[in-house]
Amino acid sequence: MKRLVSSGVCALVVLGLAACSSDVAEDTDAAPTKDATPAGPWEWDDADGETVTLDEVPTRIIAHSGAAAALMSYGIRPIGIYADESVKTDPNLQGLDLDGIEILGEEWGSIDVAKASTLNPDLIVADWWPAEKAHSGLEEGVKEKSKDLAKLADVVGAPQGGSIMALTEGYEKLAESLGADIESSQGAKDRAAFEAARDEFSALMEEKEISALAVSPASDLLYVANPEFAPELLDFAEWGLGVIEPDAVDKDFPYWENLSWENADKYQPDVVLIDGRTFDDSVKTAEDQPTWTSIRAAQEGQVIEWPAFWLHTYRDYAEALEKLTDDLSDVDVTVGD
Amino acid sequence: MLLVVLAAIAFLSVTHGSRSIPLRDVVDAFRHFDDGAIEDRVALQLRVPRTILGILVGAALGLAGAILQGLTRNPLADPGIMGINAGAATAVVLAITVLGVGSVSGYIWFAFAGAVLATALVYVIGSLGREGATPVKMALAGAAVTAGLTSLTTGMMMTDVEVLDQLRFWQVGSLAGRYAPIVEGIAPFLVVGIVGALLCGRALNGLALGDDTARALGLRVGRTRVLLLGLVALLCGAGTAACGPIVFVGLVVPHVARLVCGPDYRWILPYSMLLGPVLLLGADIIGRVAGSPGELQVGVVMGVLGAPFFVALVRWGRMSEL
Repeated sequence: MKRLVSSGVCALVVLGLAACSSDVAEDTDAAPTKDATPAGPWEWDDADGETVTLDEVPTRIIAHSGAAAALMSYGIRPIGIYADESVKTDPNLQGLDLDGIEILGEEWGSIDVAKASTLNPDLIVADWWPAEKAHSGLEEGVKEKSKDLAKLADVVGAPQGGSIMALTEGYEKLAESLGADIESSQGAKDRAAFEAARDEFSALMEEKEISALAVSPASDLLYVANPEFAPELLDFAEWGLGVIEPDAVDKDFPYWENLSWENADKYQPDVVLIDGRTFDDSVKTAEDQPTWTSIRAAQEGQVIEWPAFWLHTYRDYAEALEKLTDDLSDVDVTVGD
Repeated sequence: MLLVVLAAIAFLSVTHGSRSIPLRDVVDAFRHFDDGAIEDRVALQLRVPRTILGILVGAALGLAGAILQGLTRNPLADPGIMGINAGAATAVVLAITVLGVGSVSGYIWFAFAGAVLATALVYVIGSLGREGATPVKMALAGAAVTAGLTSLTTGMMMTDVEVLDQLRFWQVGSLAGRYAPIVEGIAPFLVVGIVGALLCGRALNGLALGDDTARALGLRVGRTRVLLLGLVALLCGAGTAACGPIVFVGLVVPHVARLVCGPDYRWILPYSMLLGPVLLLGADIIGRVAGSPGELQVGVVMGVLGAPFFVALVRWGRMSEL
């Protein structure tokens, strides 16, 4: 009797496991319609050094949220998107119509590869991070299962590097190779808007010489950003903003220099840029510190938002630059050193 | 003699730190405070509250460790095993996710409540069954509650990046960023706990002899246990709420105290009370000076120094029987 029961239970458990783990690839919807898809083989030299060759131009694309936003501005609609946070709050996806697109993950390091495989993708698009030698979502530290996404299709993407332009131009090139009509797309209009915003920003920087310090205040330490790893800061510096470079960067994590609040006055800029991802909380944390106002710019209230580490598209960059130009236009340049 | 050492450490804590300020300027800050000078602000508004907190929390953790080791008759007892740190962490995570609290001064009361509730839970679970809360059952209950709450906390952290972001700073254990408002808020609890703990020497001596002997000597074993556990909850709860979970102090300090003064709890407790701050502030000063221009959190320094120190203690010290 006991043996019968236990073998029955075993059979049930095995059946249950088999049922749960089935990911049969199905041909769900047809490929999304687009502008003229060029016929024939497709080749792409990716930033990771590999050349991807496919028999047909890929149409079923899964993309990371930043890359997806860029592609969509040129009319290429992915069939699946994975993001590092909820799609409702992800700054890259604001204002975009995600109807009909499968959401494959809303948390960094965790992608639903089983669902992704049912979509039968031809191509996966995500930023390439040279420092970590991996594409977004497949870096060191993500769940092992998420890395299986790379087995479903080739992964390509624009490189995170010395400038946001590496991303915007990279995705424009990719969209073009995928058959998008660049000149008549929304992306082209966005690019024109961005160029206008950039020219206004450069003009302001020529008029006033402003020094800026980019920080992220925490309750026990003040983190000063290393522009070398923040492409938008490198761009601002290139266009005339005096971004201060910290001199004692943390060796293990070179994105920041860690400053004790006792040394908050080490750098004296005209304006303080605070990580825009957590602006309100960061300002509150900073104001709780008795030595925050030892930074003269903070004392004068010259504290503005810095669009940190998330820009991917011309549209977002144009908006961010316009806001920055606005905020910087009435900065008093006698405050800093 | 220890009092002198403590005073010296406190003095060092105020005069040394991540920023090197000449002694003369520090003294000046106390005589005429100049709000405009950053040195004065650092000395008075950053270092003094930090030193006071270090003294109180160090004393609280040292005393709590001594009481716990006596209560559970387990030489490896540490506030971490009784679910206190886990309870505080769970409460802090709940505060961040459900109520959107954003700063240390905000979640300090949640941490306190969480620590106390977790200890109560441990006691309730440990006292199920005929024999009541024996040391073994309490240690087991503590381990179980810690494991359960830790998995709950980790689960919530993994699903919300913002929580992870805030909690990873708090969880290391740090004296930085805690200024006068926090110190003033938590000090009453710590002081009450410390005073109460100092009066427990006789009870702990009794319990050390074994339940039956203790009862024969007239000690109300059950009630005493509840009282002692309550004191531990108060001391550690308040300490963890203020600074995050700090390891090793509760574990190591009673052993050093025992080395110095023998097994009589009426001496172990005062010595623990003085040694705790010496250890905690010592580690904090090292973290501040070594990490300059940044800082190393005291939890990190304690982890690095505590392990070899404890090994040395075990290897070369006389670990007297509990």
